[in-house]
Amino acid sequence: MYKKLEDYLEQINSYLVVKEGREEILSEIRGHILEKTENEFGEITEDSLGKIIVHYGRPKKVAEQYLEGYQIISPTFKKYLFLYTGILFAIHFCLTMITFLFGSSSIMVIPFLYIPKMGFIELLSYLPMAFIHDFGLVCFFLYFITQSKKDIKLPWPRLKVSTPRIPEKKRVQPKIIYLILMLIGFCLVVSAYIRFHTLFFVSLDLKSPESLLNPEASKWYSLFLITIIACEIIGYSFRFFTQSEWVPLVINAFYLVLVWIIFNNPIENAYVGIQGTDLDFVNSLVKVIAGLVLVVFTVSAAIDFLKSLLSLVRKAVTK
Amino acid sequence: MTDETSKFESEMNRGFLQVLVLVLLEKSMYGYMMLKHFERLGYSVEENTLYPLLRRLEKKDFIQSEWDVSQDRPKKFYVISKRGRCARKELLKIWREQNEILNHLLEANKNV
Repeated sequence: MYKKLEDYLEQINSYLVVKEGREEILSEIRGHILEKTENEFGEITEDSLGKIIVHYGRPKKVAEQYLEGYQIISPTFKKYLFLYTGILFAIHFCLTMITFLFGSSSIMVIPFLYIPKMGFIELLSYLPMAFIHDFGLVCFFLYFITQSKKDIKLPWPRLKVSTPRIPEKKRVQPKIIYLILMLIGFCLVVSAYIRFHTLFFVSLDLKSPESLLNPEASKWYSLFLITIIACEIIGYSFRFFTQSEWVPLVINAFYLVLVWIIFNNPIENAYVGIQGTDLDFVNSLVKVIAGLVLVVFTVSAAIDFLKSLLSLVRKAVTK
Repeated sequence: MTDETSKFESEMNRGFLQVLVLVLLEKSMYGYMMLKHFERLGYSVEENTLYPLLRRLEKKDFIQSEWDVSQDRPKKFYVISKRGRCARKELLKIWREQNEILNHLLEANKNV
C-alpha cells in the first residue's frame, strides 16, 4: 500500500462517472503507475510514485477521459435553461412584489411556489433564494427530459432562445445638454417646492396656489417626486462613466423601497381635491389617475429592476 | 509546434490511435506494454488517453480483455476480437482512400 498512490486513486474515484467497472479502471491505473515507477526509478518509493502520478495527470482530468457521454442535461436543452429560468423567475418576482406591496396574505401556487407575506429585509433575502429555486426547478425538469432519451421538442421554439450570448445593450449615449436641462428642471421643481410647499397644484395662480393635497401629504409626496427626479438625474449622470447594469438595478430597487414606504404609511385624508361646486366626478377621476400613475410607475420600476437583475445574473452565470 | 497545430494533431491522433491499437492488438498486450511499444516506434501516447480508449473499444466489442493475476501485480491484457478485425479492415480501407486523396492533391499542387 502506497499512501500517495491510494490517495490519488481515491481522488480519481470521486470524479469518476461510470456505470460499471470502476474497480477495474482503478486497478489498471494502479498497475500502470507501479510498473512505470519501477521501470523508471528502479524501486518504488513515495517520492518516485509522486513524480509518476504528476505525469499521469490531475485526477479530475483523468476521470473526465472516462466519461461515456453521460449527461445530466443534454447540451441541446442548455439554451432553454436561462430562458425558462428567466420566465419562471419573472412570474415569481411579480407575484412576490404583489404580495409584498398589496397582499395581506401569502400566495401559494401548488406545488411549486409558496410566497409568504414578508417585510422588506425578508424580501431581500427571499429574492436570491427564489432565483435559485427557479433555476433548480428548471434543471430538474430538463434533467428528466434528458434522461427519458426521447426526442422532445420543448415549447416556444420560435422564441429567439438560440442565442445564448448576452447581447450587448446598445444604450443611447448620454448628452451633456440633456443633463443641463434636467438640472435646470430639477432646480425649478425644488424652488417651487421651497416657495409653495407643494408640487401638486390645482391652478397655476402663483399668488395663492391651491394644493390638491393636505399639507402633510403635500410635503411627503412632493419630496417623493423630488427624490425620483434626483435619482433619475444621478442615474443619467452615471451613464457618462459606466454602462453597468448595477446603476439601474440600485435605482429601481430604491424606487421600489420608496413605493413600499408610501403604501405602508398612508396619510389620512390626503386628498383635499378641487374646491368648488359639483366637482365630485372630477375629484374621483383625479384620484383614479393618480393611483394609476403610481401603479404604472411601480410596475415599470419592478420590470426595469428585474431586467437589470437578470442581465447581471446571466452575465455572471455565463462567465 | 504552435498551439493550433497541437490541437489539430490531437484531433488527428484520436482517430489514428484507434486504428493503431486495433492493428497492434493482433497480439495480446496490456496497457503499459502498448505504450512502450508505441514509444519505440517514436509515437508518443499519453497513458490517460490510451486506457479510456481501450475501455471504449472493449465496450464496442472491438477488443476483448482478460486479467492476468498469476503475478504479484495483476495486469489486464487486451486482444482484438472478430468484430474488431472487421472494423479494422474497414477503417484501414478508409485510411488508405483518404491517403490517396491527399497524395493526389499534393501531386496536383506540385504542378501549380
